Amino acid sequence: MNKALPLQGIRVANFGREWLGPVAGQTLGFLGAEVIKIESKARIEINRTLPPYAEGIQDINRSIQNHAGWAGNGSITLNLTKPEGRALAQQLVSHCDVVIDNFSPGVMDKLGLGYDALKAIKSDIIMASMPAAGETGPMKTVRTYGMSLSSITGLDSLTGYFEEPPTPMENAFADPLGGVVGAVGVLLALHHHKRTGRGQKVDFSQQEGIMQMIGPAFMDYIMNGRIAGPIGNRHPTNAAAPHGVFPCSGDERGDERGDERGDDRWISIAVMNDKEWQSLCQAMGSPDWAMDETLKTTAGRLDNIDTLHEQLAAWTKDYKDDELAELLQKHEVAAAPVLNIPDLLNNPHYKARKTFIEVTHPLGFKETIYGPYIKTSRTEIDVHPGPVMGQDNERVFREMMDIPHDEYQKYLDEEVIY
Amino acid sequence: MTTAALEGVRVLELGEGVSAPFCAKVFSDYGASVIKVEKPGSGDTSRHLGPFPNDEPHLEKSGLYFNLNSNKQSITLDVSTEKGKALFLQLLESTDVLIENNLPSQMKEWGLDYASIAEQFPDLIVISITPFGQTGPYSKWKGTDLNAFHLTAAGSRYCGKPDQPPLMHGTFSADYFGAYTGIAWGLAALYGRDLIGGGQQLDVSCAESIAAIFTGAQNIGGYAQDGKWETRTGVGMPLAAPATILPCKDGYVWMIALTTDQWHGLKNAMGNPEWADLEMFDDMFTRAQNADLIYSMMIDWTMTLSKQEIMDVVQENGVPSTAVFTVADAADHPHLKERGFIFDMEHPALGTIKNMGAPIKLCDSPGGPVRAAPLLGEHNDIVFKEKLKISDVDYGALNEAGVI
Repeated sequence: MNKALPLQGIRVANFGREWLGPVAGQTLGFLGAEVIKIESKARIEINRTLPPYAEGIQDINRSIQNHAGWAGNGSITLNLTKPEGRALAQQLVSHCDVVIDNFSPGVMDKLGLGYDALKAIKSDIIMASMPAAGETGPMKTVRTYGMSLSSITGLDSLTGYFEEPPTPMENAFADPLGGVVGAVGVLLALHHHKRTGRGQKVDFSQQEGIMQMIGPAFMDYIMNGRIAGPIGNRHPTNAAAPHGVFPCSGDERGDERGDERGDDRWISIAVMNDKEWQSLCQAMGSPDWAMDETLKTTAGRLDNIDTLHEQLAAWTKDYKDDELAELLQKHEVAAAPVLNIPDLLNNPHYKARKTFIEVTHPLGFKETIYGPYIKTSRTEIDVHPGPVMGQDNERVFREMMDIPHDEYQKYLDEEVIY
Repeated sequence: MTTAALEGVRVLELGEGVSAPFCAKVFSDYGASVIKVEKPGSGDTSRHLGPFPNDEPHLEKSGLYFNLNSNKQSITLDVSTEKGKALFLQLLESTDVLIENNLPSQMKEWGLDYASIAEQFPDLIVISITPFGQTGPYSKWKGTDLNAFHLTAAGSRYCGKPDQPPLMHGTFSADYFGAYTGIAWGLAALYGRDLIGGGQQLDVSCAESIAAIFTGAQNIGGYAQDGKWETRTGVGMPLAAPATILPCKDGYVWMIALTTDQWHGLKNAMGNPEWADLEMFDDMFTRAQNADLIYSMMIDWTMTLSKQEIMDVVQENGVPSTAVFTVADAADHPHLKERGFIFDMEHPALGTIKNMGAPIKLCDSPGGPVRAAPLLGEHNDIVFKEKLKISDVDYGALNEAGVI
């Protein structure tokens, strides 16, 4: 069966850890690359140890909170604290096209796995390193977590209620996104390799990848010297009003479905021009306050944005979010419900697009993860649930690397393959 | 000898705003040639969104447009006209990748949806980036970045105070996120195009990308199994402490110390205050249970120092806490200058002006903006007359008719 996977034949040694590294591997894996994640019981990644666990059984192969992000990576266990482990890692690279890591600068060098060493082993190797702030420069050794990485890009300084202190994004947005951008780096190098036959080092600074996102505020600073603060849900270049999230009525239907939709219900509404404002007015039944001449232009609406938003909120609050979104869409106003976690599984749009799928983990239990979040008209995406730690040891060490049985056994006994 | 990674790749962009233009910009950063199709007269919407120098709107002075369209060629073409559409199809004949972000119904109305062009252009890769995607009940909906972002549960789950509205990121977050996923998948589809027997459409929903790989990733498995779920707290990471943004003398710091070693490092950085010396505080969960107390004591310390002083001293002690950079801190940072990430460009209407470099450094085939964003229709002559070989007479007539 031809699944038309465009990266078939590409083999990746993924030393990437936790969330960002595995997502980089997954991105390539979805599209057909064979991705071998290198991990070890000598240093178990935190993401394997976080609840909830499949069927409630605590185990490093059952932490379902990371399974979606790790799916698509294979796994071998290799103890890089031992010289034999590092030697096997070098040997592995000779069978690979791409090496990925997200250690701090210098760590791979110390392990004997730096670019120069790997290049000596395989002359056209592509090595993509993804440290927080890149491989060079005075801040190259900065330590961050994914959650705080966005603070050194300026992004966090823009996130929060209008004119209030910044509000933290309570999870590492920059991790999965950084994984995708890291994969972009690999793919660029693959294109280059295809044309020239040469490998190269890819220096992906997460800071520079994520900082692209503050383009609008960056340009306002460059051109006007203005230092933006948190903008709530307002338009990023202050060019549209109304533009925000407005309350909707609680939803007792949630109880029937058992998903506790509850009172935390909101709708997002964005009016980008005067015509759309007229449409919104019509949808609201042309109330007196909205007929005000000053509100007829974007400039007038921006000048009165606080009262405008208050008036709009007083109107939205009696509607159900999804019903109001339908109503506004009929009037060609950009509006959508603000979803919560249960909604992601129950929402008709995501159901229709099969965003979340039930799969069988290699250990036999069923779990729900995301599938191909981009729909491809020719390619049938491969989703590989898991990985179980070390699931590919036999295949990689014995078959691919051709290590004799006795030697393999010795590595197991001596906790090199571990 | 270095050569650009995407040398020889030909991209046509029929997009506006942020998502498709950013996607095409990254292709152009690495050497792909990009022809951007804009509406005659008004051009890309981002030309009208600003920011503008001194807040004075000007078609050629939008900062957003400048930032997202470097290296591209701009042509004006009304694809809703018969002649405009014919010229567009003619351009597709020498195109590897079409990048667009129009409503699916709009593409259909123009007769440029994938189903209509796939047969004629079997090798074409089409990256379609929209808030909701090409299929599903919301594919007919009008949407913006804001609507897409909040359809992902990212705000509701992770950002804002419990009794107040969920927050977005303060930028076109969903547009950038969707664009990045489109770039990755698009590059892969192009890489293996011959191998798999032709081109295809990549249907990117900005909302779905975030809902899947950010919000869904770490929540959906647990919810599907146990029916348990959580929502935003407004205080950072509720299960551990410190893990939040705190004020300091000149701004804010992202204070995070999870492991015992990091906590000890932080204590040391703070000068080992007595309150922090309780052994029970060695455990991050215990610290979380006493977060209010810990944060108030830490603020007494953070308020005496600048964000950079705090970052320096905690980093020296092995703690991964960082200053919350303002846009100015980031834009003026010596680290980014030394890496060549912030640099000057020349633009005919904006003069000498700073820009950001490419998102990734390829050591052997570096990328980045070289030519400033084009003026509206700047490359009409080159593309229509030289590339498509349209005669002067026909070119004049097309101009007259408002097609170009």
